[in-house]
Amino acid sequence: MIKLNPLTIKTLRRFRTIKRGYYSFIILAGLIALSIFAEMLVNSRALVVKYEDRYYFPTYGDIIPGSTFGFDYEYETNYRDLSKILNSSDDKDNFVLLPPVPYNPYENDLKDTTFPPFPPSLKDKHYLGTDKTGRDIVARLVYGFRIAIFFSIIFLFANYIIGIIIGCMMGYFGGFFDLFFQRIIEIWSNVPYLYAIIIVSSIVIPSFISLLAIMIFFEWIGMTWYMRTATYKEKSREYVLAARTLGASNSRIIFMHILPNTISLIVTFVPFSIAGAITALTALDYLGFGLPPPTPSWGQLLSEAAEYSIDAIWIGASVIAALVAVLVMVTFIGEAIREAFDPKMHMTYE
Amino acid sequence: MKSRCLYIAIILLFSILICGCSGEKNESAPAVEEAEELKLDYSSHKLPDGIEWITNNDDPIIGSPNAKKGGTLYSSISSFPLTFRTVGPDANSGTRSLFSDNMMLLVGLHPDTQRLIPVLASHWAYDKDGKTMYFKLNEKAEWSDGVPVTADDFIFSLELMRSKAINDPWHNDNFTQYFDKIIKYDDRTFSISCTDAYPDLWFHLEMQPRPKHFYKKIDKDFVQKYNWAIEPNTGPYILSEYKKGKYIIFTRKKDWWAKDLRYYQYRYNVDKIKFTVIRDTNVVFEYFKKGEIDVFGATRPDIWHEKATGEIFDKGYVEKIWFYNDVKQPTYGLYLNEDKDIFKDINVRYALAHAINFDKLNKQVLRGDYERLHNYFTGFGEWTNKDVKARDFDISKVETYMKQSGWERGPDGIWEKNGIRYSVTVTYGVSENTDRLVVLKEEAKKAGIELNLELLDPSAAYKKEMEKKHEVVFSAFEDPNLRPDPWQSFHSDNAHKPQTNNITNTDDPELDKLLDDYRTSKDTKERIVLIYQIQQKINDICCWIPLYQVPYIRSLSWRWIRLPETLGTKTSTSLFEPFEPWESKYGGFFWIDEDMKKETLDAMKSGKTFEPATIIDDTYRIKKNPG
Repeated sequence: MIKLNPLTIKTLRRFRTIKRGYYSFIILAGLIALSIFAEMLVNSRALVVKYEDRYYFPTYGDIIPGSTFGFDYEYETNYRDLSKILNSSDDKDNFVLLPPVPYNPYENDLKDTTFPPFPPSLKDKHYLGTDKTGRDIVARLVYGFRIAIFFSIIFLFANYIIGIIIGCMMGYFGGFFDLFFQRIIEIWSNVPYLYAIIIVSSIVIPSFISLLAIMIFFEWIGMTWYMRTATYKEKSREYVLAARTLGASNSRIIFMHILPNTISLIVTFVPFSIAGAITALTALDYLGFGLPPPTPSWGQLLSEAAEYSIDAIWIGASVIAALVAVLVMVTFIGEAIREAFDPKMHMTYE
Repeated sequence: MKSRCLYIAIILLFSILICGCSGEKNESAPAVEEAEELKLDYSSHKLPDGIEWITNNDDPIIGSPNAKKGGTLYSSISSFPLTFRTVGPDANSGTRSLFSDNMMLLVGLHPDTQRLIPVLASHWAYDKDGKTMYFKLNEKAEWSDGVPVTADDFIFSLELMRSKAINDPWHNDNFTQYFDKIIKYDDRTFSISCTDAYPDLWFHLEMQPRPKHFYKKIDKDFVQKYNWAIEPNTGPYILSEYKKGKYIIFTRKKDWWAKDLRYYQYRYNVDKIKFTVIRDTNVVFEYFKKGEIDVFGATRPDIWHEKATGEIFDKGYVEKIWFYNDVKQPTYGLYLNEDKDIFKDINVRYALAHAINFDKLNKQVLRGDYERLHNYFTGFGEWTNKDVKARDFDISKVETYMKQSGWERGPDGIWEKNGIRYSVTVTYGVSENTDRLVVLKEEAKKAGIELNLELLDPSAAYKKEMEKKHEVVFSAFEDPNLRPDPWQSFHSDNAHKPQTNNITNTDDPELDKLLDDYRTSKDTKERIVLIYQIQQKINDICCWIPLYQVPYIRSLSWRWIRLPETLGTKTSTSLFEPFEPWESKYGGFFWIDEDMKKETLDAMKSGKTFEPATIIDDTYRIKKNPG
């Protein structure tokens, strides 16, 4: 729909030359891609089990009860136990291949002698230790990241679609429509949205979708102001007049002509919106108003970190490091995009 | 802190409990122009003949003769009182006890012997009708402003509690429903009558007087006028100084009328008690570690085992105290809603009970600090049937029960029948419980039952439970009565309708019969036999899965805070309770040793150390249930 014009190509090229932002982008994109396959990397289910000449791939799909592998229970096999038995026996035919981190984010790996939280241990494969109910922190971080990042991306798209449409219409049509929405937005933007969400989510328990809906409900206004201004500016340019003279419809003018010319503005905001959404979700989870427990979340880890402070420093250290890393990368990307789209780089003023 | 939190919860539960029981909606009355006259009788009548006055000055003294007077106790509250009133709007918060616990009652229960002891009333007597008690006030009893306490103050109290002007439907209702009348015989002698004959009548008649000379008459602006008024009281302390939102100071009355009474002579030793407003428990603990707060509740395992470590403990500046008591236990457990289709099958309920792995939770996460709760009415002394046992985690039993009812394990390991999965939602309102429930959830999954956790805001969770919209709710009630009162929670009269305490919707004809018999019986022995059967029946119906009880309290205290040799009484729920909580007489035992305080503070500067102290007192520990 939107063709890349030479200017955009130039911009992208420029983006690639800003190493800090570019590499951050690559790493973050890589992490997101990896997190989609988190079940293969961080999971209590084995990747492959060969047992009595049959191969099993338990990662996706139904559970395989313990009785299948000779245990005396009907619930899901504990593949770590299975791996200890099969891999240590002399029988080389049967084996279990576990993911690098053999824990899922919900299970409590408890011990008889000591009490959680357990410190990091290579032997137990709890590389960053466990939280206060014995759940693996790597697993909680990875799945928490996946939820947070996809939450932010969906949040971003929904927000921008609403914000852009309304903002463009305000700028393009002006008049009563503009005035009306300006007032609405002024009122709406005075609602302290974090508090509003807290109030709502203390009454109805939010799920992924409903929390998203609540947040969008209060956050869509952010983009409208910018889009309104940008559209106002673009509207009076000659190419819009030309398009109108040629008989183009309003929607065609908005989406085919004005929008591509304001894309630089939108793109510049994207990383910061993502960072904002991650922080908002984390803050809500921290306060206990976010996604319902036991959903893995960084905010919940942070609140445990606050509770244990230096007694279980690995909880705080891991989650803060992860949070800082992601937010710094997002900021670098944002900075690079801003620089790449800087009009001064492409134009000279006389 | 913990005890205060619990107290709030109890007050909350208690109040809504009785409101709920009455089944009446409190419709807001049109604005009262002026407080209507209730026309209570303040005139003197002739005392009937043949009254046998009773008193009790033979039970062991409470407190320690070694106690020294003086010093200031530094404590904290989580929020500043919204009002100093103890009735009316906003009064029913955690800080209410600061004021109401400084209001003495007529008689009390000796904490160890469980016999009545004199408080405001020096003598008391029972009428033959079973509804009336006579009281003779102590000659010395007086208000904090020096005015004697009289029978008029009790009549006035009744009038106030019934008045619409206080805008407090709960008190209006309670004092109309249970109290019939007060008859004055002379200034210091009167009788109180109940509307019905109750066993343990004194408990139902117990009331606090209100200073008539202070209020004069009931003002229609009572709520606004007395918001921040300091009402004269009869207790050991009175509010002396405060700064709104910051702190509140109570000062001991030097010539308190009750200071030489047998059961009060060695108590209430500290001169001043300063409650500073500190909102966050973690912050309170930081204050405590600096010695700016004197005592800290450490019943929670994480505080006792993890936070309470470090220099001040190793060097013996702070003592760790573990004290076993024997008190009514809140009913921490899972309440199953029998009106939900899935729980109509008793086998399904049994299966869930066997799928709850309390032992693993307790041993591997909670450090074995908790004990399994077995009976819905635990801690009622001989009214508790010790043979009632909670069901243990046992997957094979789950399988037996589920298969009996025709369920099979589905592809995800969860039981299935006719396309329905055994997946139920557990509603709860306290975020700390998440840590416990996640472990139970993972274990229940092994038994083929999916528990979905639903953490709501406490009031939203309470609302859901009261409207009986839950499937399973993790909740606790504390019976405010002296003896078990199972009717409200298990009788079919309270089932299938919102706003009653039968949140399991239990509707069992056999149980109903037992409950009716228990309710009408006035004979203690018969009542005990019946309550044993009722407790067994509740266990058989399995509508409530008991979880844990905490039959002890743990505290941290700086070493200058001293306690008697036996640290508390059988019914102490806090060793450092500064005032007199109603019903149980265990407040004000501790004292401050100023010399030790100086010694300790000097030692901290010079680096001198003392023997680290962890004191465990199991004088009142109940023998564990066998098995």
